[in-house]
Amino acid sequence: MTVLVGYVPSPEGEAALRAGIDEARRRGEKLLVVNTSRGDAYVDPRFAQEPDLAHVREDLAALGVEFDIRQVLGGGDAAEEIVELAEKLDVSLVVIGLRRRSAVGKLITGSSAQQILLGTDCPVLAVKAAV
Amino acid sequence: MSQRVDERSVEDAPPPPGKDRAQYGVCAFLVLVGVAVIVDGLGIPHITSSTDPVGPRAVPVILGVLLLLVAVAYAVDVARGGHGEPEAGEDVDLSQGTDWRTVLLLIGAFVVNAVLIERLGWVISGALLFWGTAFALGNRHYVRNLLIAVTLSLTTFYAFAIGLGVNLPAGVLQGIL
Amino acid sequence: MDNLNNLMQGFEDVIAPMNLLLALIGVLVGTAVGVLPGIGPAMTVALLLPVTYGMEPVQAFIMFAGIFYGGMYGGSTTSILLNTPGESSSVVTAIEGNKMAKAGRAAQALATAAIGSFVAGTIGTLLLVLVTPFVVDFAVSLGAPDYFALMLLSFIAVTSVLGASRIRGLISLLLGLTIGLVGIDAVSGQQRLTLGVPQLADGIDVVVVAVGIFAVGEALWVAAHLRRKPVEIIPVGRPWMGKKDWRRSWKPWLRGTAFGFPFGALPAGGAEIPTFLSYATEKRLTKHPEEFGKGAIEGVAGPEAANNASAAGTLVPMLAIGLPTNATAAVMLAAFQSYGIQPGPLLFEREASLVWVLIASLFIGNLMLLLLNLPLAPAWAKLLQIPRPYLYAGILFFASMGAYAVNAQPLDLFLLLTLGLLGFAMRRFGLPVLPLIIGVILGPRAELQGRRSLQLSGGELSGLVGGPVSYAVYAVIVLVLAWPLVRRFAVRPRTTVA
Repeated sequence: MTVLVGYVPSPEGEAALRAGIDEARRRGEKLLVVNTSRGDAYVDPRFAQEPDLAHVREDLAALGVEFDIRQVLGGGDAAEEIVELAEKLDVSLVVIGLRRRSAVGKLITGSSAQQILLGTDCPVLAVKAAV
Repeated sequence: MSQRVDERSVEDAPPPPGKDRAQYGVCAFLVLVGVAVIVDGLGIPHITSSTDPVGPRAVPVILGVLLLLVAVAYAVDVARGGHGEPEAGEDVDLSQGTDWRTVLLLIGAFVVNAVLIERLGWVISGALLFWGTAFALGNRHYVRNLLIAVTLSLTTFYAFAIGLGVNLPAGVLQGIL
Repeated sequence: MDNLNNLMQGFEDVIAPMNLLLALIGVLVGTAVGVLPGIGPAMTVALLLPVTYGMEPVQAFIMFAGIFYGGMYGGSTTSILLNTPGESSSVVTAIEGNKMAKAGRAAQALATAAIGSFVAGTIGTLLLVLVTPFVVDFAVSLGAPDYFALMLLSFIAVTSVLGASRIRGLISLLLGLTIGLVGIDAVSGQQRLTLGVPQLADGIDVVVVAVGIFAVGEALWVAAHLRRKPVEIIPVGRPWMGKKDWRRSWKPWLRGTAFGFPFGALPAGGAEIPTFLSYATEKRLTKHPEEFGKGAIEGVAGPEAANNASAAGTLVPMLAIGLPTNATAAVMLAAFQSYGIQPGPLLFEREASLVWVLIASLFIGNLMLLLLNLPLAPAWAKLLQIPRPYLYAGILFFASMGAYAVNAQPLDLFLLLTLGLLGFAMRRFGLPVLPLIIGVILGPRAELQGRRSLQLSGGELSGLVGGPVSYAVYAVIVLVLAWPLVRRFAVRPRTTVA
């Protein structure tokens, strides 16, 4: 079984990663860190560049967690990819970070978190960034 | 510990060709244009007058001959291994092969607009154009794109055609807009 | 003194609220589009040209002035934050600018670029005011043979000085001349290359050519080779500079301006050479040679100033003689022509108020850019997150709208597509696009001047050479053509000895 973390280089993403590490250790399971980008914009702040990944790798190695990092490029939205991976792999828990959003923002783009909550069959742990 | 990057919808790059033979196609194109320019030029009546001792024929004929000469020179250059660097850019990834599917879809969207613009009007054909090109370029948010496309074409129609007097047809929506 | 009065009058015209608003729109749109990847100032002006058809020429040019400098500025922001210069003239800015940004000095790099651009743009525009009347006086004395020679020089210069391959430049030029040939011959009234299509009798509109080659060609080319992986962007705060940065920047700004302006005014001088010269100079003169290659502020300040000053310089031959020296000037020239105005020495007599309004709005636009862009830099950087499908769909959308609006005929849309495919093919085969645009714009006028010269001589070819200016220009042409040979002979002995 695996704990899947939706990782984004941001406070929410870091919070999700921390929670994911805790869960994986508690359950004694493998950790799968997923970062996605549709890859259709010139710049995507949600895409983890090499320095971000290096720091994730370092932290995880230091903590002695068994892990795997997967980046998905040019596919669907982050939510679609995570739901799909959760279905395909043997995932016991999905961990995601929530960010504060305005009403208008929610109206325009919908919520990835909602899509993941409704779309996956396994339990979902949603965490907020430390204030 | 491993890291994998899944890249979808990206074809593998073809191996770089030793010599870019497609350039001979450019030579052929130049010959074609050159001949066309000369033939057309010779078809023009040779009218000269005291105010115009040269007449309208001279320049096309000279230009056509130059085109033919350049085509030959280019062929020689290509045969010697000369090749132009494809244009790089901020948004261009030359390591991949050419994505013809996208190009053809774009051309399709373009032609649809050109054919329909007078019949349906800019608001509809322009929205189709935007929607179609966004689709061709790989965006799959159909409903959101339609909203953006319609907003954009309506805004441009009101701002430019009605506001600034730019020539844009109202088409079937004449009287409604 | 006369010019000063004219300029003051120009300022008065621009200060009207409506005109200030247009200048603001021009500056904002120009910068926004300049920041976006793949769109340079030439394409921006070409795309926006048709939407101004309903405006008064004066208002349109107030907007173009803003777009002109705004596009330059936007390009430098991108090259500093992303290390992927959009244009060859920002290559040098990217070298040191991106290193500075990576070292956590993005704010200072952006600030020195913005203030340097302002300084260079202002001095450059002042020089434009001072120099242009002399060029006009000189241009008034030119006869048809002199003009013909100058245009020939433009053709030769644009094909052999710029770009890597002369033969490819020449192909592009000849294709442009062929496109320029389409339509009714102005002297004899005969149709040429119209293939019997009545809509082609008026020729192919320069706007359609420019939009097709720049915008549609670029969009198709990028679409075929879309980069799928997002690049790293360096987060920006509000640009600012400390005292030390000012001390290190002001001299490079002035030196860069001195390099940029004259090169911009030369046929095919362009912005690349002066930015490289400025970079080399700053590298030699700096007190911090150890910083070069790692993010030296002088290496951003100098080339950025050179880039903007050269943009101002290109306006001198464009306005005074009607000779465009780079792509943006070529499109601006097309803009003048689409309003039925012919740039050249007579412009300053016939359309004096228009010219001075344009110049005054260059000053104002420059100031607006400085005031706006220091606080807005983080917002501009956000534009880079627009998904590409929307970006290029938007370009094609506005390109089609503009091309149709020129003559209100669907045929232009098919022409646009054909030219777009030509632009695509040219990018594929490494053919430069600038010679084609220059050929389309100057070709018909060169033919006219050539035939006029021969009319004076009764058809004798000797008529093409007349007056001291044409002798001098032909001498320069021979020099430019012979240069590779000269260099080969001059360099070879040294290499064989060594």
